[in-house]
Amino acid sequence: MALQRVSFRLRQTVARVRSIHTSGCGHQQEALAAEPERNPEPFSIFRTQESDPAGQSEKHIGQYYTIPPAHIQTVFPHGLPARFQVQMKTFNEGCVMVRPPALEVISYLKKADYSKPALRFLFFWLDGVKGSGKTMSLCHTVHYCATQGWLVVHIPDAHLWVKNCKELLPSSYNAARFDQPLQATNWLRNFRVTNEQFLSKIQTRHRYVWTKREFTEEGRPLGELVDQGIARVKSSSDVVGAVIKELRLQSSQPEAGFRMAVAVDGVNALWGRSSIKKEDRSPVSVEELTLVHNLRKLVKNDWCGGAIIATLSQTGSLYTPKTSYLPHELLGEEGFDRMDPFVPVTVSNYSEKEFESCYLYYQDRHWLQHSQSRTEEGKKEIVFMSCRNPTALERLCAFL
Amino acid sequence: MAAHTTKMLCVSLGRIHGPRLGLCPPLGRATYATALSTDRFTGNKGPHDRGGRGPFPRRARRDPGKPRTEKMDSGDLDWTTVYPSATPFRPGSVPLPVRMGYPVKGGVPPEKKGNLELVKIPNFLHLTPAAIKKHCEALKPFCTEWPSGLDTEADLDQHFPIRVQSTSYVSAGPSVRNPAARVIHLRVKLSSLNLDDHARKKMLKLLGDRYRKDTDILTVKTDSCPLRQQNLDYAMYLLTALFHESWKTEAWESEITRADFLDYVWEDSASQHSILDTLTRMTAPGEAQGEGEAAAEEAAPPPREQLLGRAEVQEYRESVTRVKNEKESESATLRYREAVKKVLGL
Repeated sequence: MALQRVSFRLRQTVARVRSIHTSGCGHQQEALAAEPERNPEPFSIFRTQESDPAGQSEKHIGQYYTIPPAHIQTVFPHGLPARFQVQMKTFNEGCVMVRPPALEVISYLKKADYSKPALRFLFFWLDGVKGSGKTMSLCHTVHYCATQGWLVVHIPDAHLWVKNCKELLPSSYNAARFDQPLQATNWLRNFRVTNEQFLSKIQTRHRYVWTKREFTEEGRPLGELVDQGIARVKSSSDVVGAVIKELRLQSSQPEAGFRMAVAVDGVNALWGRSSIKKEDRSPVSVEELTLVHNLRKLVKNDWCGGAIIATLSQTGSLYTPKTSYLPHELLGEEGFDRMDPFVPVTVSNYSEKEFESCYLYYQDRHWLQHSQSRTEEGKKEIVFMSCRNPTALERLCAFL
Repeated sequence: MAAHTTKMLCVSLGRIHGPRLGLCPPLGRATYATALSTDRFTGNKGPHDRGGRGPFPRRARRDPGKPRTEKMDSGDLDWTTVYPSATPFRPGSVPLPVRMGYPVKGGVPPEKKGNLELVKIPNFLHLTPAAIKKHCEALKPFCTEWPSGLDTEADLDQHFPIRVQSTSYVSAGPSVRNPAARVIHLRVKLSSLNLDDHARKKMLKLLGDRYRKDTDILTVKTDSCPLRQQNLDYAMYLLTALFHESWKTEAWESEITRADFLDYVWEDSASQHSILDTLTRMTAPGEAQGEGEAAAEEAAPPPREQLLGRAEVQEYRESVTRVKNEKESESATLRYREAVKKVLGL
């Protein structure tokens, strides 16, 4: 009985959607509307069954795909934005919309020649609006790389490395630099989770001496190096440097057998200013931090067999005006010169189709509870209030 | 000490109390008195009573008569005779239904007759088109003919590149001098000066904010001397000095670095190095694998000039220069994106 009622309601929704989209994408909806008979799962107008990012194409734009829960555990132990994590918990599934910027980068990655120097992609937002989904596009691309069996070096927010540092130690390797053991250990732990399969395969090419007694011999698996960093907090920042060095060296070799994806969120932090203070209260400049120093080397395209995907973000950055959003403004003179040449990929607000899909998705999850929110008037109001900005829409719908 | 202060307090309290007690009866008397006096005042000095009671009757006021506006004939009225010079507003002479002032509630602003607000503001009733035309006619006999061959702005710029601007002030005041009359503005188009590339850049550095890029005009303002002629001489001297200084090449000018450049120069920049580096690494292994030994040898020395001569590299160069020079431009960023895609072959 209950099932019948549900299916009846669903049919109604589908019919309404069809009437909205009469002009734009009619034939596509015809195809989609025919799908429920084939699939056991209902609702295909805003969902796609293609959960592998490699198989997604332009016809899936605006549709949600579900990240398998196992992937969320391994690929994104720390990479997803906080609000999305809360949403995943609420909806009991991790659904990501297929959007053009991520598809564009994935199509480049599919075509690219990996004997050539690493390509660099930079998500930035056009029109200067925040919350248009750069981080989610980055995560989508990272998911593609992970499903293709790439080694993923994911830095969820580089801004966190240049501020709010609880422990700052002078580096044992180079006295002019500073270590951030907490951040480094944290990152190494997540790196271990993400790239479990590679840790035993990759062998070190150099001998690393940590203290008088502790060292890592040449030819040991990379996992030992990572474990060393997690166990000995003091040397963790240098371990990060060593891991990055090994990866850079080995990914360039044709016999390496793995591809590397470097994903950096908030790459402009690497050339900005930090708010960390030394003991004499003078500010630490960014290049004095061991982690940032090593990450800068990774972002340089002097290695092959992979890609560098980054986002620019004003959110969370330090000492940048709120109005700046273009690559040159956020990266600064030096940062632009170091990143150059990169492919800027614009991420903009939802298109009409994407908005419709998001709206239906929220309705499907019973997220829109307000009686007015389901009416045509209510929808118009939501469009007006959120301006089809993804973050604004999400925050707005939180109390509807 | 403490006792002393308390005593003082007591005294002052006593003083306050004393007069208050004594005041009450006079207050009552005073009210009585004022009532009396007002009565007497109105009885003696009121104009009403005097007019009625006195021996000499008051002379009748002159009738204001009809206002001039009603006598005006709009057909052959010469307005310049009504307002020959700057004068305050006269409601009787202006045949316009002007209203001004704060309106009473629900009403309209007061009309012009007896309206002080209209008198307060300056007017231009003496500067009507008719008056100006008349003025010009009167000045015409003193004018000379406009020189031939200077019909357009371009001709003027070519023959008289330097423009000097100053302002003369005429005012009806105790002094005919105005301190602002000494200020001289000297304007020259930079392109009309004979400068080479180095001299031009040095001139721009020396000028600072005295140069406007969009109009290509430099402006020298002099006001430090007391007389206009002195300021004019000084401005000409400054222009001469600027010109000759910018042609000189000092020894320290060889120490110029990239940071001192006014505009971004792509040649020998970090961007050029990185794109050359990327392109050489992109081409070298591909050709070596593809076409064997001979091709590898051919490609081995990186053909720098050949790489730089490519059309897409040139486009890339232009787009980077644009991004660097106009920093807040979305279109520049989008163009850069297209150029990078072409260069990297995406």
